[in-house]
Amino acid sequence: MRKVVNKRMESLLRVTEITKKFQGLVAVDNVSIDMKEHTIHALIGPNGAGKTTMVNLITGVLPLTSGKVEFEGRDITGMATHNIARQGIGRTFQNIKVFPTMTLLENVMVGGHEQAPMGMVKGIFDIKGSRKEERRLKEKAEAVLTRIGMYDLRNHLMKNLPYGRQKISEIGRAMMNDPQLILLDEPAAGLNPSERAELVEVIYKAYEDGYSFFMIEHNMDVVMKISDYITVLSFGRMIAEGTPGEVQSNEEVIRAYLGSRYVEQDKRRDSYVKSEWN
Amino acid sequence: MKIKLKPLHYAIATLALAAFLPFFITNDYYMMLLNRVLINIIVVLGLNFITGLTGQMNLGTAGIFALGAYSSALFTKYTNLSPWLGLVTAIIMGVLIGRGLGYPSLRVKGVYLSLTTIGFGEVVRLLIANTPKLTGGTQGVRNIRPYHIGSYQFQTQKEMYYLFLVFTAIAFFCAWRIACSKWGRIFKSLRDNAEAVEMSGVDIASCKIKAFTVASIFGTVAGAMYAHYMGYINPSTFNLDLSTNYVIMLMVGGLGSVTGTIFGSAVVTILPEMLRFLGNYYQIVFCSIILLGAIFFPDGWVSAVTVLFKKVYQRAAKGHYAEGGE
Repeated sequence: MRKVVNKRMESLLRVTEITKKFQGLVAVDNVSIDMKEHTIHALIGPNGAGKTTMVNLITGVLPLTSGKVEFEGRDITGMATHNIARQGIGRTFQNIKVFPTMTLLENVMVGGHEQAPMGMVKGIFDIKGSRKEERRLKEKAEAVLTRIGMYDLRNHLMKNLPYGRQKISEIGRAMMNDPQLILLDEPAAGLNPSERAELVEVIYKAYEDGYSFFMIEHNMDVVMKISDYITVLSFGRMIAEGTPGEVQSNEEVIRAYLGSRYVEQDKRRDSYVKSEWN
Repeated sequence: MKIKLKPLHYAIATLALAAFLPFFITNDYYMMLLNRVLINIIVVLGLNFITGLTGQMNLGTAGIFALGAYSSALFTKYTNLSPWLGLVTAIIMGVLIGRGLGYPSLRVKGVYLSLTTIGFGEVVRLLIANTPKLTGGTQGVRNIRPYHIGSYQFQTQKEMYYLFLVFTAIAFFCAWRIACSKWGRIFKSLRDNAEAVEMSGVDIASCKIKAFTVASIFGTVAGAMYAHYMGYINPSTFNLDLSTNYVIMLMVGGLGSVTGTIFGSAVVTILPEMLRFLGNYYQIVFCSIILLGAIFFPDGWVSAVTVLFKKVYQRAAKGHYAEGGE
């Protein structure tokens, strides 16, 4: 597992002026993001703001219309998805993409497939070697599962696990390749409060282990609690960026996304407390 | 002391059983059926990688099988070399087909891929039938030499049976090793969710082509065996019915199950013969049996045993609870 914790000031992921057009619709319009090493960077915005498109552009699932994506200083624009993943970028999906007919352990082990270099023909005849390789992979998967607190469930079929568990297991699968960066696409969507707390714990633990996270999230609890830096998108354009405090008090962000209620919550709580007293 | 059974023990037991089988069968016709079972096992072992594990419906198995049979038969015919070299030709053919058939599978999905593979099978059959100068056309290829070791030729059904048993054992070993390795796991995960696999840094294009290539090699090798076993091949054998039959074998054995292929091939090859006494009705009875199997045991007939065990176990457990056990 990752343990090398880097300095915080180097750029890890730098997206420069990227644009994505679907025919006439501009899904992402000239957005630039500079994510520092070993941070948790959140991307927020209303539905249809182009957040998932951003992640798909970074991971090469969709081709860019224009712009540039750099990872650790290397240009990864236009690379095939699996090559981008090999550069050290992992990802989870908004609508979970797991392997329901396989066990949790196998699910996580798929994530480490590239860590086992033995070819197919050699694997047939080199019984000892492939067994050793398989054991190493399994041990690593078990370590990852322990880290995300799901070791006890390792032999359960994925389809029998609750939604929240399946979702967290995707982070485990992404961790198998020791990526520097993991992109989380709405990790807390559909989780209940206790699962959400668990998720935050898992992310935070991984962060302490040296992983960096780029996260799309609607749940403000989670975003404000764990992110170091926030970028706000609305209708494909970037409307604000900054620390959670800065973004929370940004007028435009409040109007476009958070809603005045979010800010007034504190005031209301105050007045509620006052009314209690009176 | 309790002996823990390992896959190796099962394999040895099965092989021993298979080796003794000919002693109880005096009829040459039944021996022929057994040989066909062995050939079919190899084809289905291969098909299992595409359709069972990777989840891409392949209805062009007959085409693969035909190309294997013809490449080996024609090679030995024209060069007058040993059928063993024909086997090598068949393997090379398998690699080529796997590449050629694997590429469309990257772009064409689901039903459309099935149609593509049907097209492949038919194109192969028609090409063979319509190039009489090279392949003998609809007349087929005659007098294909049987396998031999030195000057010893495998000619009777029983001799063939033992040779094919060795072939099948090797093929089974390879298929088992692949299916139980990380490759089997990656094939299965491709069936479930390809995007997630890609994001794990796996080149899914090369993986799919690998699955097709392995399957084609198994298919062509079986085709070559078939050609040298029958001594005569003609294109009308390799029709869509044959491809469908292989899918049925796979289904009866259980999609994705390596051991199930033995059972599936045996049932689908032998059952129609058992039903011969029904005369004209045998086809409808056979199809009904297969259909019922598909409805009640979608994971293969072998799964029926596991389902039964589970039911009995649950009942026993329930009884245990009813008696006040914890």
